[in-house]
Amino acid sequence: MIHLVLSGWQWPGTVANLKTNGRVAITFSRPADYVSYQIKGEATLRAAQAEEIERSSRYLVDMVSTLMRLGVAAEIIAPWLSNRDALLVSIAVAEIFLQTPGALAGTRLWSAAT
Amino acid sequence: MTLGLLNLEACFEGVVPSIIATADGNGVPNISYLSHVAMVDGDHVALSNQFFAKTSANIRLNPQAALVAVNARNGAQFRLDLAFAYSLDDGPLFEQLSRHLDATSAQVGMAGIMRLRGLDVFRVLRIESIRSTIEPERNPSPARDRLVAAARVIEMIAAESDAAGIVDATLGGIRSWLGFEHGLFLELYEERRQLVTIGSLGYAPSGIGSDVELGQCVIGAAAESGSIVKVSDMSRVRRLNAAVRDSSSDENRTRSIVLPGMPDAMSQIAVPLIVAGVVRGALFFESRARLAFTKADEAALSIIARQAALALAFSERNSEEAEVGHRAVQLSPATDRTIHVAHHRFDDSIFIDGNYVIKGVAGRLLAFMLDQHLTSGRNEFTNREIRLDSGLRLPDFKDNLETRLLLLRRRLEEKRLPIRLIRLGRGRIGFEVEGRVRLSREGA
Repeated sequence: MIHLVLSGWQWPGTVANLKTNGRVAITFSRPADYVSYQIKGEATLRAAQAEEIERSSRYLVDMVSTLMRLGVAAEIIAPWLSNRDALLVSIAVAEIFLQTPGALAGTRLWSAAT
Repeated sequence: MTLGLLNLEACFEGVVPSIIATADGNGVPNISYLSHVAMVDGDHVALSNQFFAKTSANIRLNPQAALVAVNARNGAQFRLDLAFAYSLDDGPLFEQLSRHLDATSAQVGMAGIMRLRGLDVFRVLRIESIRSTIEPERNPSPARDRLVAAARVIEMIAAESDAAGIVDATLGGIRSWLGFEHGLFLELYEERRQLVTIGSLGYAPSGIGSDVELGQCVIGAAAESGSIVKVSDMSRVRRLNAAVRDSSSDENRTRSIVLPGMPDAMSQIAVPLIVAGVVRGALFFESRARLAFTKADEAALSIIARQAALALAFSERNSEEAEVGHRAVQLSPATDRTIHVAHHRFDDSIFIDGNYVIKGVAGRLLAFMLDQHLTSGRNEFTNREIRLDSGLRLPDFKDNLETRLLLLRRRLEEKRLPIRLIRLGRGRIGFEVEGRVRLSREGA
C-alpha cells in the first residue's frame, strides 16, 4: 500500500476521476536527475487525518528546499504545492515501471500478478 | 477571461516538463513527462514523446488525453483537455523541433542519440487554470515594443554603407532597443564550413576571428538549418565548454581564437542571416536570465537579421567599385623599429612579433598586402584589385571580401599591432605600418 495526500481543492478533476473508476497511475521523479518510477493500481479515497496532513506539510517544505537547491525560484514553486482540503489516497500497487527518460523507460520492474 | 492557447506561450519554452495523462482501452491511466510540447497553431499542440511508447499506444485506443503545462515564468499550472488529431514524421514543424532537440543534445554530448522519431498532434478542447493557494506572480510583459525596436535597429542599419558600420549598428542597435548585452555577429565561410566572428558585443576579449563549426552548438545549428535555435534554461543542459581558457596566451600555440561566452549563461539564441534563400551567417545572443528570449524577441531578431544580411550583401556589391575622392593614407611616423612577420604557408597563419594574428584567407590577404608593401612601397589597395589577383588563390568569395577585410582590420586593432588596415572609403583600404617589416615565409 502506498498512501498519498492530495489537495481536493487544487485537483477536483483528479478526485472525480478516482471516485469514478479508482484506477490510478502515479509517477515519482527525483528532480536532480529525473530518476523516475511509475506505479499503477487501485485507489481508495478518504479525508486525511491531522497527522497525515502534518506529514504532508513537512513534505511540502522539503520539496521547496530541494527544488530551490536546484535553482528553481521559490515564487515559481509556490503555485504547485498545496494540501488544502487534504484527501488521503491509498493505493493497492499492481505494477511498478521504470520511467527515467532513456531507452529503458517503460520497463516493468514488478507486478503483483507474477 | 477565456484562456486560449496563445495565452500559454510561456508554457512551451521547454523549461518545465509538461505531464500527459492517457488511458488504455480498460481505463488504466498512464503518465508521461514530456520534454517538448510545441504550439502548432491557436488550437493544436504537438508532443514529442521520446521514450514513452505507452502514451502513443494509449491514444490510438483512446484518443482523449489530459496535459498539465507550467508557465515557466511564474509557475502557474494549466490543465488542457486534448483529443489526438494526427502524427507527424516530417514537414517544417517536425524539422524545427528536431533541430531544437539536436542542438540541446549536442550540448550535453548526446548528439545524434536523442533522435526525434515522431510527433503526436492534439487538438485542444479546453484549458483550465489550476488553482493555487498563492496567486502566481503576474510578471508584466516587458514594456519594450519589439516592432518599434526592430524598426529603430533597421533604421540604424540602413544609415550605414560599409560592413563595419552595418555589423556595429546591428549589435549596438539590438543592445539599445532590445536590451541584449552579450552577442556575436558571425559570417559563414563556406570553404571552411565554419562561422567566423566579425562583430562582438559585451565580451572581453572580443573573440573577433573566433570560429564555430557548422552544426556545432546553437550557432552552428541555426546556420546549418536556416532557422532560429534557442535554449531557455541552460541549467537543464550541461555545458561542455565550461572551462574558460585564457585565450590571449593560448592562441599563439593553438592558432585559434577562443569563442567568447558567458560561463553562467541561462538563455541562448542564434538567428540565421539569410539572403535570397542562402544562409550567410548568424547572430547570437546570450543572457544570465532564464527565458530571456521571447517569441516576440525571436520575431524582432529575425527581421533585423534579414535586414543586416541584405545590407551586408549590398555593401559588398558597392565596394566592387572604389570610391573616388577618398581620403589618403596618412604616412606613419618614421621609425626604425623592426616588425617581424611570419607567414606559415601550410595554414596561412600570420604572426606579428610572435603574436598570432589570423589564418586562412584573411592571413593570405594580409601576406599579399605586406608583399606589395615591401616590393613596391604601396600603402593603398582597392577591393577590386584584390578580387582580380589570381596569385591570391582566393576562394570564390565575391560575396564577402569586405567582411574578411573587416575581420582582419579588427583583429589587428584588437591586438594593438604595429600594422593596421584603415578604411579609406568605399572599396579602398589603407595599409599602415609603424616600422620596418621583416617577412619570413615558412613551409611550402
